[in-house]
Amino acid sequence: MSKILKIIKPDKCNGCELCVLEAQRQLETVGLEGALIRVFRKKLENSEYPQNHLEIDPRINSLNPGKIKIICPQEVFETQEIDGN
Amino acid sequence: MEINSKKVLLIDLAKQTFEAKSYSDLGKYVGGIGLGLKLYETYLTTDPVIFSIGPLNGFFPFVSKTSIVLSDNGVIEDLYIGGNLSLRIRFSGLDSVVLCNKSPEPVVLDITNTQVTFKPASIDLDYLGLPGKRSLISFEKEKVTVNDYFSTPDDFLGQKLAEKNIKGISFTGTEVFKPNNFSAYESLYQELLSRTTGLRVEKGNYPSCSNCPMGCGKSKFGEIGGNVLIHSLVACQYADKVYSDIGVIFSCLNVLGYDYTHEDLENLPKLIENTLKQIS
Repeated sequence: MSKILKIIKPDKCNGCELCVLEAQRQLETVGLEGALIRVFRKKLENSEYPQNHLEIDPRINSLNPGKIKIICPQEVFETQEIDGN
Repeated sequence: MEINSKKVLLIDLAKQTFEAKSYSDLGKYVGGIGLGLKLYETYLTTDPVIFSIGPLNGFFPFVSKTSIVLSDNGVIEDLYIGGNLSLRIRFSGLDSVVLCNKSPEPVVLDITNTQVTFKPASIDLDYLGLPGKRSLISFEKEKVTVNDYFSTPDDFLGQKLAEKNIKGISFTGTEVFKPNNFSAYESLYQELLSRTTGLRVEKGNYPSCSNCPMGCGKSKFGEIGGNVLIHSLVACQYADKVYSDIGVIFSCLNVLGYDYTHEDLENLPKLIENTLKQIS
């Protein structure tokens, strides 16, 4: 069995980018180039708060998705076990 | 990374030129307010606005602010703004960005690493930089914000950018870093991230600065003045219990390869004081 990372509460993302940086550290890199998670920000009309939109590269599942799930302070992610066969 | 020199992007708004320069003699100013004041002194005649980060920005949690030094009618102000700007400056490979002189016409700056493109003020900021790797400074009425949310306590930055005819700035950073002892770096990162109870803010559901999990209600408003060591690093003032600990600071600096000594940090307040005297 292996685990995959899924976004379950996208609207809760606060834009902290801890998930992005955690995934990068798992690749022994500090920076955004080649990041497997991206956070895009967009200003909403009639809202004081910008909206964050997450995109995940499927290659993220070759890393440790559990650590990415745990580092998110807003519980945006869950991990799901899948049959690797 | 040339660890002990400081890399500065100089932008001459009047001539619409730019140059990235390395200063091997500015390491002792550490970063943030220390570096910003020294650069202010150096470029005094150009009425500079200086954005600076410290050696830990981008690498460690709660070190999420960007220092801004400018003159408000002859009075030097040091402001600190949150959001993701400090990480974009770090990932540009820069320590400071200095905006010199005044643009002859309204302009938008599109900065990617050490390259600057001068765009007409009519351009839509959303089309600049690389989404996901950029930070946008824009005006909402007269107030300047980072990513349409994070601002500074007073409006000095907005007034100064308006004086300089700057209508917006996009910062994009695409460089990556690989600390030599990555496992030690990772351990220290996780250890510091676990210290949220040592912060002077409560966890909230507001937009968060990059590399900070708190989502606190304070980050929107930035900071002005305060502890020079914290603001040279440039950590958040609400993380002062974490980053006033000299052992923590040296652990962080050492794992990144900096060779600062205790004397360097002990002498920093005096160095800043002397720089301020020179300016005034």
